[in-house]
Amino acid sequence: MGERVATAEMQIQLNGRRGSKRRTPAALRLLEAERSEAIFPILLEEIVALGHHRAVVLDVDFDTGGVTPSAALKWPRQQVSKFGTQIWASDNPITGVLNSALPAAFPKTTIHNRPLYVHPIFYSNKSACWEAERMRSANCLAVQNFLREKRIRLEEQTCSTCDMRAYASVIVVELAKNNSEAELADLAQIIELANRCLSRLCKVEHYYNRMRDMEITIAQMGTVMQSMADPVILTDTQHRVIMQNRAAERFFKVPDEMTEGLIRAVELNNMLFAAALSSMLVAGNEAHRDLTLVDAIEGEEMLFEAVSGPTFGPDGVQVGTVTVMRDVTDLRRADQELWVNYDKLREAEEMVRQDRDRLNLIIENVGDPIVVCDSAARIVLVDPLAQELFGSSSEVPRDPVLVKNQNDFTSYISSFTFSFAERETAPLRIYNPAIKQVIEYDARSGKIFDERGQVSYTVTVLRDLTALRKVEQLKVERRMLEIEKFAATGRLAATIAHEVNNPMEAIKNAIYLLAGAVPESAIPVYNILKSETERVARIVRQMLGLYRNTEQVKPVSVNTIVEDTLLILSRQLQRANVELLTRLRVLPDAIIAADQIRQVLSNLIINAKDAMPNGGRLHIRTRHIHGKDELHSWVRIVIADTGTGISAEMTRAIFEPFVTTKGEKGTGLGLWIVKGIIQNHAGKLLVRSRMGKGTVFRIDLPVVRP
Amino acid sequence: MNNNAKNRIMVVDDEASVLITYRLILEQQGYSVGAFSRSSDAIRALEGEEKYDLVLCDYSLEDQHTGFEVISAARKRDGCIPAALLTGYATRETADEAASRKIVIMFKPIEIEEFLATTAKMLRRNDESNQESGQENSDSQSSV
Repeated sequence: MGERVATAEMQIQLNGRRGSKRRTPAALRLLEAERSEAIFPILLEEIVALGHHRAVVLDVDFDTGGVTPSAALKWPRQQVSKFGTQIWASDNPITGVLNSALPAAFPKTTIHNRPLYVHPIFYSNKSACWEAERMRSANCLAVQNFLREKRIRLEEQTCSTCDMRAYASVIVVELAKNNSEAELADLAQIIELANRCLSRLCKVEHYYNRMRDMEITIAQMGTVMQSMADPVILTDTQHRVIMQNRAAERFFKVPDEMTEGLIRAVELNNMLFAAALSSMLVAGNEAHRDLTLVDAIEGEEMLFEAVSGPTFGPDGVQVGTVTVMRDVTDLRRADQELWVNYDKLREAEEMVRQDRDRLNLIIENVGDPIVVCDSAARIVLVDPLAQELFGSSSEVPRDPVLVKNQNDFTSYISSFTFSFAERETAPLRIYNPAIKQVIEYDARSGKIFDERGQVSYTVTVLRDLTALRKVEQLKVERRMLEIEKFAATGRLAATIAHEVNNPMEAIKNAIYLLAGAVPESAIPVYNILKSETERVARIVRQMLGLYRNTEQVKPVSVNTIVEDTLLILSRQLQRANVELLTRLRVLPDAIIAADQIRQVLSNLIINAKDAMPNGGRLHIRTRHIHGKDELHSWVRIVIADTGTGISAEMTRAIFEPFVTTKGEKGTGLGLWIVKGIIQNHAGKLLVRSRMGKGTVFRIDLPVVRP
Repeated sequence: MNNNAKNRIMVVDDEASVLITYRLILEQQGYSVGAFSRSSDAIRALEGEEKYDLVLCDYSLEDQHTGFEVISAARKRDGCIPAALLTGYATRETADEAASRKIVIMFKPIEIEEFLATTAKMLRRNDESNQESGQENSDSQSSV
């Protein structure tokens, strides 16, 4: 039988015999099949054509494990269904054949009372598929199944290389009772032939399906790419654009409306992009670059971060580059702002730190107790001095003195905390345990507000006023004493002068009247009498000068007074060889008693002259001094000589009455009167002197601006 | 000197020694002097026959009397008679009153030269005003 099939002669004979029936040979029919579905009907027909009764095809469903009839010839559907089984059914001949993967003939079975030929077919091929070949993979399921190097396992019927879902089927043929071995071989041969065709068609269909899947994937990927907001560009190895999404077209595609500017912008973008791409390729994989592009539509400059990666062909050769660009304009701006803010924050922090350090330094050096309370008037912070009074802020004091102090302070600070005042100064009497005495403190409190304007803390500085009060008291007393002294001295002088005045007047007049009647021998005595009397008269005149309160104060030009005084004294100065240097600036009128100021100037100028027995320079300067506020200003008169100067001890005493540097010549009242007059004018008088260099008197008279 | 001789000056001071020396000094200058130590005497003299050309009067006189009273009496008779107060001390009120009544104040101790110069000046001014009226008279006389 094998010979019949094996030789060409037999084939021809067969063809010849079938030719009469105009039948195409089975192999050819199977080869002509275009679809995998066409194979089983042809196979069943050919099986029947071989003279077998009927046949059925059972398909294995790998997912469910079911083995169910899929096609049958000359076999009613109801009878065929009994062959259906499960691949794990144990004593089923069909399952047995599938598991052994070898065809078998059964004279009689439990499922069919006629002889059956059962032939399993699997996806198999003697050569590896293209994919396995291309990938040089030995793991082609088709080849493995064909070679049968190991047992075919139904649960592993998926190709590990091309991912193809394989098939397994069983062809069940009902045999005539006595079929020869040759007949069975023929049957087997045609089934194997059909399987080969089926495998090949399945492979093609698998590729076709894969192609369709790929198209879908490509379409999906395209959609994904287009819907990306970031420009994505695929370029070939020559940097030519193969594909780009709409976001990229905005920058790199010449727009439809062709304006010169747009084209130039796009060209520029392309150039920039190509340059960035080149530099990125040099830099290596996953390089990124910042790239400023011009939006061809909006005309705005935008900053992008371009990330590119190579794309490889199936053979591992680079075929192009994918570049994704991220718009980082806002990001960078935000980043920059972030940095700026960060810097500001750091600066602010630094300032706060410095402030805090400074504050700490201040607090440490204030030397007064400081207490910080929270919004509920609880003491939260005390400096070491305050700790002596109130105890530590962290622990409740046990010492009754501290408890009382705390209570006293809390009652004060509560009323301040809940008052509307932002700051307050109040006297506070607190027992100081360190010196064991009650001290009157000046409590100065301020509030610290939070951003909502609520009081968050209060700070209180307790100033110990004891020392200050004492000093103030002393100052006042001293001043009172001085005023009293001056007044008393003045009163005394005035009284004396008044009492002395009338006798003096008589003596003076009498001496004058005697002038012609004195004998020559008595003239020296008469002269002594005259000059000494004149001296006493001068003293009395000066003393009373202060109290001749006869002049009305009125706005007067101080410069005019200076000039008048100098006019009277200029001859005296000339005689004394004193060079007069004046610089009188423009002054506002001062409200003063002109005669008194004239006396002041006269006294000071005569003193200056007397201090320069060998001549010298006398400077007289006036100027207008502006006060700190708008209202007050001063007229300053400076009288400076280059005379002998006054010693430091003497400087302190010269304004006292009857103190003189001139010996017999002086009355000791000139500067005392000067001081009195200046004080009456609410003015200021200052003297500076250096022995051998000279003396400077400075007078400031107040001017009230109109 | 001759001019001075025409002028009669009243001097009032409660200190006798002062009064005498003033009188002597003024007489030395050729003035005719009427000296009084009491205001009442002076006022009575002013009400008499004697005519004075100038009154020099101490401010504080006996029994709380003041120089103003004497000057007032003098002015009652001769409204524009020059007058001076001689004093060691004057309050603001005194000075104001003197200024408003055109009374000169001379402060003691008075430099004699100044005393004499002021006296002469006051008399001259008085003379001038007198002479002006005199000239008017002579003019009218000449026209007669």
